[in-house]
Amino acid sequence: MKKQEIEELRELIEFLKQHGVAEYEADRGDTKIRLKFNPQESAPAGLSELARLLKAAPAAAASPVASAAGASASETAVDPESGLHFVKSPIVGTFYGSPSPGASAFVAPGDHVEKGQVICIVEAMKLMNEIESDASGEIVRCLVTNGQAIEFGQPLFTIRPV
Amino acid sequence: MFRKVLVANRGEIAMRILNACRELGIRTVAIYSEADRNALHVRFADEAICIGPPRASDSYLNVPAVISAAEIADVEAIHPGYGLLSENANFAEVCRASNIKFIGPPPEVTRLMGEKEKARQAMKSAKVPILPGSDGILTTADEASEWAKQVGYPVILKAKAGGGGRGMRIVRDPEDLPKLFHAAFTEAANAFGNGELYMEKFIENPRHIEFQVLADEHGNVASLFERECSIQRRHQKLIEEAPSLQVTPKLREELGRMLCLCLKDIGYQNAGTVEFLMDASRQLYFIEMNTRIQVEHPVTEAVTGVDMVKAQLRVAAGERLDAILPPKLEIRGHSIECRINAEHPHRFTPSAGKITAFNVPGGNGIRVDTAMHAEGVIPPYYDSLIAKLITHGVDRAEAIAKMERALGQFIVQGIDTSIPLHQAIFQDEAFRAGEFDTGFMERFLAARAEAERLPA
Repeated sequence: MKKQEIEELRELIEFLKQHGVAEYEADRGDTKIRLKFNPQESAPAGLSELARLLKAAPAAAASPVASAAGASASETAVDPESGLHFVKSPIVGTFYGSPSPGASAFVAPGDHVEKGQVICIVEAMKLMNEIESDASGEIVRCLVTNGQAIEFGQPLFTIRPV
Repeated sequence: MFRKVLVANRGEIAMRILNACRELGIRTVAIYSEADRNALHVRFADEAICIGPPRASDSYLNVPAVISAAEIADVEAIHPGYGLLSENANFAEVCRASNIKFIGPPPEVTRLMGEKEKARQAMKSAKVPILPGSDGILTTADEASEWAKQVGYPVILKAKAGGGGRGMRIVRDPEDLPKLFHAAFTEAANAFGNGELYMEKFIENPRHIEFQVLADEHGNVASLFERECSIQRRHQKLIEEAPSLQVTPKLREELGRMLCLCLKDIGYQNAGTVEFLMDASRQLYFIEMNTRIQVEHPVTEAVTGVDMVKAQLRVAAGERLDAILPPKLEIRGHSIECRINAEHPHRFTPSAGKITAFNVPGGNGIRVDTAMHAEGVIPPYYDSLIAKLITHGVDRAEAIAKMERALGQFIVQGIDTSIPLHQAIFQDEAFRAGEFDTGFMERFLAARAEAERLPA
């Protein structure tokens, strides 16, 4: 990272800490950054709080992170656990974690899933496409949020294979 | 004007569209396959969405993926560029159904122009000269003879099911027609399982002349004059220029007028190009229409001063032609374009790989449209066009001089390019004199091969 980018990142981190943000993630084009703060140091802020904060902040706060080129923050490097299987989206669309609004999620962290089991929906052109897990194992994390825009190949879940 | 546009293409044309959008204050969304993750159009767009694996059919040609990306990015319009989905009427319909503006003509018009016979009829009704031919299949040699009298020799018999030059016979002498008819029929039947033939007038050594048109959505159509694209190898254009030395002001004006009437009549909208063959007596014959922006649009931009891609965006946003075009369109100077391909200049084998050096020429009257750069990688999945080098001079001689100078300074290392081929063409006497037709490249390459065979 360039010196200026490191400076800007430092400023962003300070800003997020000040406002008690627990996690921050930005994904743009060929750059992805994820920051996770130690819960003891700050009171966790929800995503809606974060959105409000980012709107209030100068626009520069969001862009230097997104433009930090050559970020070695590839999916596997950022995630502290390795050896996990990533379920990636086979299509472009909108992610939904449950079969319908208000219904319970298809899967939750800790659940065991079989290869071929439906674990989420990606909506594309008004069609609800059921996405099947391509591995058997334990759901570790869901990497995206309900209603999030998803691109082809975007990681959706991490699974610890058995 | 649109708030946000999705560019449904890649490479240099994606950059071209992005540039026009940015200059108009339109937010841009790029789509890309996994092979184009580090492409220039992805880096310079405001937003970028990966839509599929490398193969075009799974990504850039994948209509649901493109539309889905447009929906999640909440764009108002899609610019399809050239090739890919640009002339896909089905895609234009899906855009319409999804409430996304397709930057091009309405699907019905694309479909009309895509059907060769219907397009010919539309032009014929407007008195645009069309290539004479038989109305359908010829069942006997006698029928063929009758048609040939109408069409006028020389004629070419073509297989309906055919391609690749098989099942084709050129007939110059009426006496030869019956035997050539049977020969073509048999060859077609053997090669394609269907011997049916139709007839077209055969133009010896035609020139390829095309007219650029622009129509708004209020029934106004304008001609932005012609381009000459006769320097082709296997029907792939290598060099294009504007204007054509063969088109007289009278012809330009008359044909322009007829085309505008025809296109207004069929409800054409946005940019398009009408292609013609020109015979030795400077007679033009309509062959087909392309309902999209073309690769070689920069030469027209140079001589008319009109930004074609911005014009497309503005037309699609509802602006009228008289707000977009200057009050009097005229041709200033002469412009030439070379298509620089990633292929060997002699063997024409495609060259994929990493570019290690990339020096782009500049200066007065030089324009380079490219999505390549040093350290850039040419993926093997797409076409081989890597850059367009365009010059604009006060006349053809100056445009040529600029092109020679610029080609000599266009350094690309790490891959093969057609730059040496272009340099050789620009040295050719016939080319410099403007004496060429679509047979030029074949003769040029044959002469070169011959020259290399002779002992030094």
